[in-house]
Order: sequence, then structure tokens, then C-alpha cells
Amino acid sequence: MAELICRALRDGALDGEHAPALTIKDSIDSPFGPHVFNHVLAQLSANILAAKSQSQGLVLVASSQSPSFYFDLLKSRGNDVASFHKWLRVLDCYTDPLGWKVRLMACGSISSRSPEASNTVRLCTDVRNLDNLSLSIMELGRELVGQGKGRFSVAIDSASEMIRHASISSVAALLSNLRSHDQVSCAFWLLHSDLHDVRVTAALEYMSSMLGSIEPMNRPANVQRGNSENLSLFEQNSNKGKFHVRLKRRNGRVRLMNEEFCIEQSSIKFTAVSSEDGIISQGLVPKVQFNLQLSEKERIERAKVVLPFEHQGTGKPIEIYDGRQSLNESSTESTNSSSAEKVQTNQDPGKGEIIYFRDSDDEMPDSDEDPDDDLDI
Amino acid sequence: MAATKTRSSSFSRNISAASTPQIPGLKCGPNGTIFVSSGIPDLDKILGGGFPLGSLVMVMEDIEAPHHMLLLRNFMSQGLVHNQPLLYASPSREPRAFLGTLPSPVLSKDDKSRDHDLEQEKGLRIAWQYRKYLGENQQNFEGQRDGKPDYCNDFDLRKPLERHFLSNQRIDCFSLEGSPNLDPFRERCSTFLAQLPRYDGNLTSACRIAIQSFYAPQCEYSNTEWEMLSFVRSLKSMVQSSNAVAVLTFPPSLVSSSFSKRLQHLADTLLSVKAIPDEDKELANLLTGYNDMVGLLNVHKVAHFNTQVPVILEATTFSIKLKKRRSLVLECLNQAPIDGSSGTSYATTGSCSGSSKTGTLDF
Repeated sequence: MAELICRALRDGALDGEHAPALTIKDSIDSPFGPHVFNHVLAQLSANILAAKSQSQGLVLVASSQSPSFYFDLLKSRGNDVASFHKWLRVLDCYTDPLGWKVRLMACGSISSRSPEASNTVRLCTDVRNLDNLSLSIMELGRELVGQGKGRFSVAIDSASEMIRHASISSVAALLSNLRSHDQVSCAFWLLHSDLHDVRVTAALEYMSSMLGSIEPMNRPANVQRGNSENLSLFEQNSNKGKFHVRLKRRNGRVRLMNEEFCIEQSSIKFTAVSSEDGIISQGLVPKVQFNLQLSEKERIERAKVVLPFEHQGTGKPIEIYDGRQSLNESSTESTNSSSAEKVQTNQDPGKGEIIYFRDSDDEMPDSDEDPDDDLDI
Repeated sequence: MAATKTRSSSFSRNISAASTPQIPGLKCGPNGTIFVSSGIPDLDKILGGGFPLGSLVMVMEDIEAPHHMLLLRNFMSQGLVHNQPLLYASPSREPRAFLGTLPSPVLSKDDKSRDHDLEQEKGLRIAWQYRKYLGENQQNFEGQRDGKPDYCNDFDLRKPLERHFLSNQRIDCFSLEGSPNLDPFRERCSTFLAQLPRYDGNLTSACRIAIQSFYAPQCEYSNTEWEMLSFVRSLKSMVQSSNAVAVLTFPPSLVSSSFSKRLQHLADTLLSVKAIPDEDKELANLLTGYNDMVGLLNVHKVAHFNTQVPVILEATTFSIKLKKRRSLVLECLNQAPIDGSSGTSYATTGSCSGSSKTGTLDF
């Protein structure tokens, strides 16, 4: 849930642990990543202003939108422009990422335009040098919170832009340094998953503790054909979508959550999922056995059971049943019969008795006995 | 009349006297292998004694859960408790800091729940009418009792390892992040392993290598997959020719699938850990003890040295639980009892049999 994520970012990092990090992932099927990013940004800024969050400031690395866009965004959420200086710093990687304008100005091709003179924005002219970038982020953060125990949050507008200019290992190193830095409270970034290799996306997911992926409401079966059904699906996808969150918890379990969202005029609304689809991790548990171990109670109970023959040998003579007991009683009759089997019924009314005579005496004595007869309970 | 003449053959069984080293921390196994404990008693039992000397153990991580750290911690602590040299490498800048999180062994005697199993078997009661004549037919259960009591310790994950174990000279730490390629690490491994070569004659001790998150993306060399593969291969050959065990963990989802397969084939013992979803009702219904579980451990391959016979395990998936929140136990997955209220229960159908009495039968 978006609420949960914002709360996790607000609460920040515990001492000695890495700061929580959120990756917002979207794709062309549902390109609402920037909306979710702006939403999280606005929530976090509201929390910072209200002093509810662990972090006291926010450093925003703007690569895909200009800083003025973010100023307007925050203004529209009711934040006072004048107060930006106190809690916000923007590292502008949008205006001149590779330093071309600087070089053109140096050789006089373009007239020097007055840059946005603002003490909240610092211009970055070389996004390929990630060491400098990370130093700038740290410096801006320290400007906000000072050298001491204060913490600040870091928001990276587009990690995809960063990966465009630098190798994944240096981006991953930057992110892991951010997370392990004492003064960083939380970090979040946006990633367009279809622009990159699967390994790159996996590497960024490795670096983060929360993953929010944005998916379309329903995937249209065939993108090319302009069926009427597809068009209605597209319409649905145009302002709605699903938001899946995977939260890595400290005990090693993963919390999975689902939400739907709807883009309205300028804001995004998250609603709980209407139908529970019950996502089960298939194939997770291949072979499940039955528990054959006994609990303590069961063990005691088992010890109490008196087994047959256990009470023998305690004083009474030991009796061994060898299958001939019945013969002793009816020995007088059995000597007469040789081969024919005679069944004699006792004419006692109300009481039935079966008397069985063996076919012959030289039969093996154990062949016709009831095996349960020799139990002596 | 057969005259029983005991003829001693010219072939006598070669029971080498050196086969049982009384060295703490090492145990003899079948086929002349020598085992080193993994630090987790359940895992030792599953693997048939522990990790064989000279083997390479790989643990496939799940990027969503830190369970491989639990395995590594126990492995490293066990080595330190037995005073075995240790080399630890990790992608963080300060690997020494990790040593502070190693658990300390549990010393109390009342935690020996292993004894329970054996006593239960010894007390096997047979309801046999001739037992009185033939004497007690006691089944002597020769379980996988780990010889000496301190071959494998139970570790308390909440208590850190005592200082005097850590101030041991023989702990070496290496950070994988700084270097652009793996050559310095390879050098360090070979010098470390040179202290205990295999064919030295006398077996004094064993050394342990623990490499954590080998394919972490923040390391510069992580793009060069062939280099990393050749490093692992040379590590394996170095470990085979010395008295050492190496444990290497890597996240397979960060590696391209063909390299992941190659790495898995290089391993002598292959384990993998998996995270489980939280508050999953389906899983809670399927398994007992779901609430205590923190993850799953899969055993894919078990090392077998000096033998052609493969090791086939009864179960390959185990649940990782923290017993009393402090020690790691691995348990078989047990199916939860099916809810009795659903469906025709035994009690209701039993009534028809209960009403019949062993009474008068009229013929």
C-alpha cells in the first residue's frame, strides 16, 4: 500500500542499519511511474514540513524534469515557496547534464543566460562522474541538516537516466553508499524497467528494501489490433493501474501487497484491491511430509500404554499361546473326526457360539489361528 | 564333518591408524573424507557430517532475504570457536564490522535436545510374547551422533562472539569493493591457503574461507562474468589442494542464467535459501509452524568425494526457523493437519460402528 511505503520512508533508518530504499518501477504498458514518484515526494515533503519524519530535509536529484516543475508541484500541494530553502535542495541534472551549454558559452556560441539564481538549486554539469555526483548529494544534504546527527532523504528522479550515463556497478555503488551513510534517512528512485536489461533491474531491486511496481489493469491480448475490446482496455489502462508492493522485512520475510490506483487531474488516488485474487507462490513447497515426531505430551501418553505381554513375567506364570488351546476343550470330539468338518452348533437360545473342528490333525497348528488371538492384553 | 579352519587371508583390511584424528573441529567420514562442521547441527546431519575438507560450498541467495548471512555467520563462528584460520571477503567497505555480528556458542547443557531422539529409540518397546525368553532385543540406534560434543556447536544468534575469539591473529578480512578486478583477491586466497597444504602428511587444522555476495552489483568487476567464473574455478582448485573449506554466496538473479548454471556446476555442495511471503494464508494452511519460519533452505547437491555413489536425500527442502529466537534449526516441511470440521469427520461416521455391539449373534 502506498500509505505503508510512505510511512516506512517517513520512519527512516534505525541506527546501524541501512536506510530503507524504494524502487518505483514502471513500463510502457502503464507509464505512471512519475505520478507515483511525485505522490511519494509530496507525501514525504509534507511529513518533513510537519516534522513527523526522521529526516529533516530532502535532496532531489532531478534528471527527467526540470527543477521548476518540482517547485510548481510542491507549490500546488500547498507548500510555501519561501520555505523551500530550509528543507529542500535540488541537484539539477536536467538543464545541462553533459556540460554542453557550459562549453558553448565558453566558446561564445550562445549568450550566457542567467541561470535560475536560486540557492536551492545546484547545477550539475557532468552526470557521468558519479563520484562527484555522490559528493554533491552529500554536500547538499549537509547544508540542510548540518554535520551532526541530522538526517536527510534522497530522491532520485530517474535512475534510468543515471544508468544511461554510467555503468550499473557505479550506480549500484552510489546507491549502496547512500544507504549506508549515517546521515541518510531514506532514499527512493524511479526506474523504467523496459529500458534496461533484466540484470540491471535485478541489481537495483537488490539495492532496495521496497519495490513498487506499476502494472496495467488488464493486459491487452494483442497490442496491434484495434479491436473494440482492446480499445476499451486501453481506455481503462489510460488512467488506472495496479500497484504491487514487495516489502523486505527484517526477519527475512517478504510482504506482498496490492492496490489499485486511478490518476485524476493532478493527483493519484490509491484504493484497495476490489477482488482478492489470492496470489499463492506456486512451486514453493514441492515436498511436504507428515509430521512423525511426537510432542512431549504425546510421548508421555505413549509411555502409558500397556502393551500386550508386558504385564507377564511379573509373578504369574508366563503363558504362551500356541494355537492349540481350543483343542484341549474339544479334544474328545476331535479324535473322532478325521476329514469331514463338522460344525456343531450349540442350541443355546440367545447366545451364539461357533465351534470349529479342524480338518485334520496333521495340519500345521498355526495356519488357521486368528493372529490376534495371541495378543494378551 | 566340516572342520572349521579359520584361514587368515593374505589380504588384511587396511585400517589406517591415522584415520581418526582427534583434532577438535574435524571429523572422519566415510570414504576417507574429513568433515568440518557448518555451525548448524541440523545442516551437518542433513549433509551427512558437515562440509568435506577440500570442497567448495555455494549458497544461492535470495535477494529479498538475508538468510545466507545466517549460514555464513554460523560457519564463521564455528571456525573461530575451533581456532581455525578464517578469511572473510565481502563487498562492503568495512568487512571487519561484520565480525561483530557473529554469534556465540550456547554453553548450557539443557539445550541438548539431540539426546531426546536417541533415548526415544533406545526405549523401543516391542510387544512380543517371546521377548521374555530371548532377552531384551534392544535396538541399538547408532544415530549420527557427532563424535565429540564440541564438533558442532549450537549458536545463540542474539549474543555476539566473545572478544578473545575475534582477536585471533588468524582472521583475515578483504573488501571486494575496492578492486577493479579479482587478482588481488586471488593472491590473498592463495597466500591464505598456503598455510595448510593438503599433502603435508600431518593434519593439524583446517581453514575456512567465507565469501559473501560474490556477485554484488556495486563491485566493479561484476560486469566481467568470465573473469569471475575463472576466479571461482581457481579457488576451487586451490581449496582442493589444501585443508580448507570455502563457502561462497551469490545471488543467482543478478547473474545471467548461463553463468549461474556454470557456477552451480562448479560447486561441490549447493544450497539455496528462499524468502517466504509474509502473512500468506494459503501457506499457513499448508504447513505447520508457518509462523515460526523465516525462510526455506534447499539442498541441491551434496558433495561426495572418493565415491561414485550419489547422495540421495529424503527431503531437499527445509524450513529455517529460529528456535527461541536465538538458534537456527532446520526442519522438514510438515503438512498441517487438515481441518477436521470440513468434510465428513470421523466422529460422525463412526457412530454407525459404535452402535454395533459385540453382542449376541443369532444364528
